[in-house]
Amino acid sequence: MPGRYRKISPLQAPTKPYIALGLEGSANKLGAGIIKHDKDGKTLVLSNIRHTYITPPGEGFLPRDTAQHHREWALTVIRDAIKKAEVSMHDLDCICYTKGPGMGAPLQSVALVARTLSLLYNKPLIGVNHCVGHIEMGRQITGAQNPVVLYVSGGNTQVIAYSRQCYRIFGETLDIAVGNCLDRFARVINLSNDPSPGYNIEKEAKKGNRLVPLPYATKGMDVSLSGILSAIEAYTLDKKFCADSLPNGTVSDEDIITPADLCFSLQETVFSMLVEITERAMAHIGSKEVLIVGGVGCNERLQEMMGIMAQERGGQVFATDERFCIDNGIMIAQAGLLSYRMGHETPFHESTCTQRFRTDEVHVAWRI
Amino acid sequence: MSLKPSTSRTLLENSTLVSQGAEAKVYKAYLHQASVSGTDDDGGPVPVLLKYRFQKQYRHPSLDTSLTRSRIAGEARALIKCLRSGVNVPGIRMVDAASGVLAIEWIEGKSLRHLFPGGAEDDDVSEDIAESADEEDEEEDLLTGFYVSRDLLMTKVGNEIAKMHLADVIHGDLTTSNMMLRQGSKDLVLIDFGLAYMSTLVEDKAVDLYVLERAFSSTHPDSEPLFSSVLEAYRVKMGKQWTAIGKRLDDVRLRGRKRSMVG
Repeated sequence: MPGRYRKISPLQAPTKPYIALGLEGSANKLGAGIIKHDKDGKTLVLSNIRHTYITPPGEGFLPRDTAQHHREWALTVIRDAIKKAEVSMHDLDCICYTKGPGMGAPLQSVALVARTLSLLYNKPLIGVNHCVGHIEMGRQITGAQNPVVLYVSGGNTQVIAYSRQCYRIFGETLDIAVGNCLDRFARVINLSNDPSPGYNIEKEAKKGNRLVPLPYATKGMDVSLSGILSAIEAYTLDKKFCADSLPNGTVSDEDIITPADLCFSLQETVFSMLVEITERAMAHIGSKEVLIVGGVGCNERLQEMMGIMAQERGGQVFATDERFCIDNGIMIAQAGLLSYRMGHETPFHESTCTQRFRTDEVHVAWRI
Repeated sequence: MSLKPSTSRTLLENSTLVSQGAEAKVYKAYLHQASVSGTDDDGGPVPVLLKYRFQKQYRHPSLDTSLTRSRIAGEARALIKCLRSGVNVPGIRMVDAASGVLAIEWIEGKSLRHLFPGGAEDDDVSEDIAESADEEDEEEDLLTGFYVSRDLLMTKVGNEIAKMHLADVIHGDLTTSNMMLRQGSKDLVLIDFGLAYMSTLVEDKAVDLYVLERAFSSTHPDSEPLFSSVLEAYRVKMGKQWTAIGKRLDDVRLRGRKRSMVG
């Protein structure tokens, strides 16, 4: 092993301002964002535009329709981002796009847009791992130094910690992602998908107070969620289940289960599991910081529970709001630009995308 | 769940905190032996280890209570099953599932992690390479205090795990920190059954072994030959069951955490 580098960041201070465009479309959100790394080391978010493909209640988003949505909106969203940032396409240093993981068809349509722009304006392309994008943006916004990261979204549920130029996955879901679990339940009880099913579950859960028993499946630092989804779905067929929610403010003394109770129970159980595995990872590594990223990360109950846990351990929790939690273009720009400044580029013939792309496959060159 | 004025509470109050993990606080306390023909020697105070699963404030209280209760009971159940099958594990002294307290035999000795190169430091991020070469001599000294050669020790590890698996107990967290060498004897003791469960499945046993293999390679660099002697002893003890487990272990190695996931 060569001599250890003392705390010198491998990332050189910028000798000129860098500007990058980030394009994200791995799921039902299409995002474009422009970021600037200034000479004095400051990072500026110049614009962060997002358009979400919203399906009717009870329906999820299908890859083909989502890809079509992205194709229809790509130019508008990018144009808006450029306009808002008050830059021109020629000012950009590079174009970053999501290489994966995500849904195939939406990824492809966004990668196509990125390639076209790259050829039109003769700009280098940077393929970015979606998960690393979330982590880097979270670190940038919150200023967390070396946190344990809980990445929770519709497609991913991972507990991650940084070690030796790699974001290592310490724990993760063994089946479905937590966002997927919440969204699918929202569909079962016909909650609206606008602005997002998870947000409506959170709103509904605030009205609930009865905790129904659900499976609790943590395995070491991993969790399993599919059984919980089946169990909570089964409650909607229970005789005690009363689909019509009560008029506001009234509390029934009858023995019934309301959708609000189910949302409450689902959140309490699932989030307890997530906080538990995060705590285990923190104890294992000896870290005192937690960073929550990903779409589910803007759930305030999850943030609250994580906060209590961190406090008990004498630590601190970092979280961002929906602008940066939910998929966005700016995080792709941030991670892409860091990688670009380390001299990395994605050659045109390799500018593909992939549905499977693990967080720990990325070489994090820009950190010590 | 607040502790009622009970035996476990009095015990906790008169004990010293040893360490705190993610799950529980560990205390050392003393029990006064009643004049029953116990396993321990005379009537002096006997040290016990208290594992207190304290209340997690972030969890809904009723969820927390039921979880704590089932986990304490589960741990005690696994220990008893091991004890009955002759696996070297700490004996149970008291179970108070309602207050989340488990008292087990205090084992005087050293954890294996501290007896091997690279493991002497405190908790480190996995796969952190320590300067193993320098510690070689010191480590030999550590081991000689216990009059056990390294190979014999590995054989013991394999043996104990095999006995446990033959009893269909899966440890769930096999690491070198969870194995102790008892002072004054050559017994290897498996500890911390907090994640243990019962299973007859080949898959679970293979994963249990894989967890240990990863723990070996991440905390003790250059330990492949060590782990292979563990496996050898395990193979001998398991007899016919080994064929299926060994095959599955090869599968699990390919899978590991490297498996690619959609989404």
